[in-house]
Amino acid sequence: MSLLYSLARALDRISPAPIAYAHCDIPCGIYDPHHAQLAAHTVIRMIDLINQLEKPGPNATPEQRQEYTAKLARYVLVKEQHAEIAKNELRILWGDYFKPDHVKTFPELHDLVWKTLKSASKARQEINLPAAEDLLKGTNDIASIFWKTKGLETITTKAPYPTERQTVYPRMK
Amino acid sequence: MFPFRRFRVEDESMRPTLEPGDYVLVNRWAYRTRAPVPGDLVVVEDPEVPTRFLVKRVSETLGMREVRVTGDNEVASRDSRTFGPVARERIVGKVWLRLRR
Repeated sequence: MSLLYSLARALDRISPAPIAYAHCDIPCGIYDPHHAQLAAHTVIRMIDLINQLEKPGPNATPEQRQEYTAKLARYVLVKEQHAEIAKNELRILWGDYFKPDHVKTFPELHDLVWKTLKSASKARQEINLPAAEDLLKGTNDIASIFWKTKGLETITTKAPYPTERQTVYPRMK
Repeated sequence: MFPFRRFRVEDESMRPTLEPGDYVLVNRWAYRTRAPVPGDLVVVEDPEVPTRFLVKRVSETLGMREVRVTGDNEVASRDSRTFGPVARERIVGKVWLRLRR
């Protein structure tokens, strides 16, 4: 590390240097929390379907057992995939979109993202409706912050999907 | 007024000339005695967000009053191609020294 660089770093502790942005828009620009919200709804829907699935009784035929297993496997697969999609989308918003200024305005952001990712992991690992609902709630809260940073108001309304859960949408001007 | 002011570089539009984390020392008096010329590395006030500073390279001078600036990393730069020319008064100064880790 050069001496002058170390000096500049040391000066930052006394009086931080203002930032000169070599500003770019190309790697950034197109973000939307909707993907994460959709994925969260899908996880809830899969858990609903799993819970509605009739379990084979002691007298079930091999064909019935096979059909049950095949359906369960499909629902579990999609649940896990979409929990992972939700996590990935949230990490992109968190790591790429949100900037220090946003965190100053919304100091709860880091904790909120962290908890939502934890819920997503739990919803992925288990057949756990409350965890999936926490995932959706956290994702909605993040979406609400996202749209506020864009200067847009949001509305919270029932999603037009079979899950029928409350969902945050931007109110486009 | 002390002529030098230091800034810390963020973002990537000036790569490879300036990397995020570099410091630049800017001479605020550089353009008292001469006009900016294409090729000069400058810190300017962002025309769209006046509280923010940008570091860019002068690509063209437009008479006495304005300059156009672009990033060295042209495919990843928001500059005069987006916000148009920058008034001379918005130029903070010329980069005099780059400090790298």
